Amino acid sequence: MATELDCRGKRCPLPIIELSKKIKESELGQEVLLLSDDPATAADLSAWARMTGNEFKVISADNFLITKSN
Amino acid sequence: MITAGKYEGQHPLHPKARQILLDAFDQGWADPTQISSQGRQAEALLVQARESIAKSLGLKADEIELWGEPELISPIAIWGAPGFGVSPFIYGATERSEIIGMRGKSKQSFEISVDIDGAIDLELLTQTLTLQPNSIVAIQSANIETGVIQNLKTISKAVVAQNAHLHIDATASGARFVKPAYWSTLHFDARSWNGPSGVGVFALKNGARWSNPLPHTKPTRAPNSFSIPLALAAASALEYWIADESANSARLKSLIERVRNHVKQTISDVDIAGNAESTLPNIISLSFLNVSSEQLVGALEIEGFSVASGSACVASALEPSHVLKAMGLLTHGNMRINLNHDVQDGEITKLLALLPGIISKLREN
Repeated sequence: MATELDCRGKRCPLPIIELSKKIKESELGQEVLLLSDDPATAADLSAWARMTGNEFKVISADNFLITKSN
Repeated sequence: MITAGKYEGQHPLHPKARQILLDAFDQGWADPTQISSQGRQAEALLVQARESIAKSLGLKADEIELWGEPELISPIAIWGAPGFGVSPFIYGATERSEIIGMRGKSKQSFEISVDIDGAIDLELLTQTLTLQPNSIVAIQSANIETGVIQNLKTISKAVVAQNAHLHIDATASGARFVKPAYWSTLHFDARSWNGPSGVGVFALKNGARWSNPLPHTKPTRAPNSFSIPLALAAASALEYWIADESANSARLKSLIERVRNHVKQTISDVDIAGNAESTLPNIISLSFLNVSSEQLVGALEIEGFSVASGSACVASALEPSHVLKAMGLLTHGNMRINLNHDVQDGEITKLLALLPGIISKLREN
């Protein structure tokens, strides 16, 4: 069951900062559903995943499913 | 104390070029097309300035035109290329927005992606060129945000093999630009060599096909409505810049290397754009994970450093830098350093001593 993290209306870099905190507190394999409508989120998520070793899927334009993999 | 320089050029005008500019304004330059002694003098100085600019850039005097609105040079160079509008238009994903914007004026356009180091995908470019002969290709020599240099030697070979038009945006490289064997049109901006803003250089290779797309009744390649004092100052600034460069280029390169190595060693989770071998010697772009660029730029400003950023939260636009995005680099927490010849080594030492502390403090918030 994915935990929801609603960052709609928040500007960059807040969605990524909040996601980083959430992932830090999560167990390995835990999923987080990030809701974000900031235009920088999609680009920054792939950079974030590459840098932190986590995985994510784009569900829709403002829905991203992140899995703690590291 | 402004040290790390400001992004996109506006370094202060060279003091000697500034003097030439003021003298030229004071003497009230006459219209060089009029038959008066003042007009003739202005004309003679202008001829000299053009020759000097062409020589400094490794071009022939009859290959260049001076423009008073530099930002228009690339769009007009592309617009005047043979068949533009109907012919395929091919451009790199990290080109400046006014070049990417030309896709809206073309029936077919192709964007060539870049890898994580910012280099154009040569295979995709060659493939696209083979399928789309007689295209118009626009590639930058280097990127103003990241300093990434494109391999123009190889790109120009691929372009000439398919008989395409090659426009090169050299506004970031300026006098550091190294011409490949084949090119059609070039674009320079005097700001890149600490000249005044409001002067650009358009170059058309002798023998290349191009026609002025602007309305005109007499054969002309440019509007020629640029400011003569600015053009004279641009020419002298270029001469001074070249003299300063030979004394400083190795020093700037080693300062940027120091920034690159120090940041890598002392700060975690940072994206440094491009690799040391293929970036300009004076530019570096750093993106720090979980840092707000607005706060970063502000914190550095308090310490006397003026840096710029490609992050959306600093730029007036909502969209983050399309350059960082195309490279797949982090777009937030970004800062860019663009060093001028007069930067002191001690300023970089101070910046590097402060940066790790500033980043960790901002990350705690």
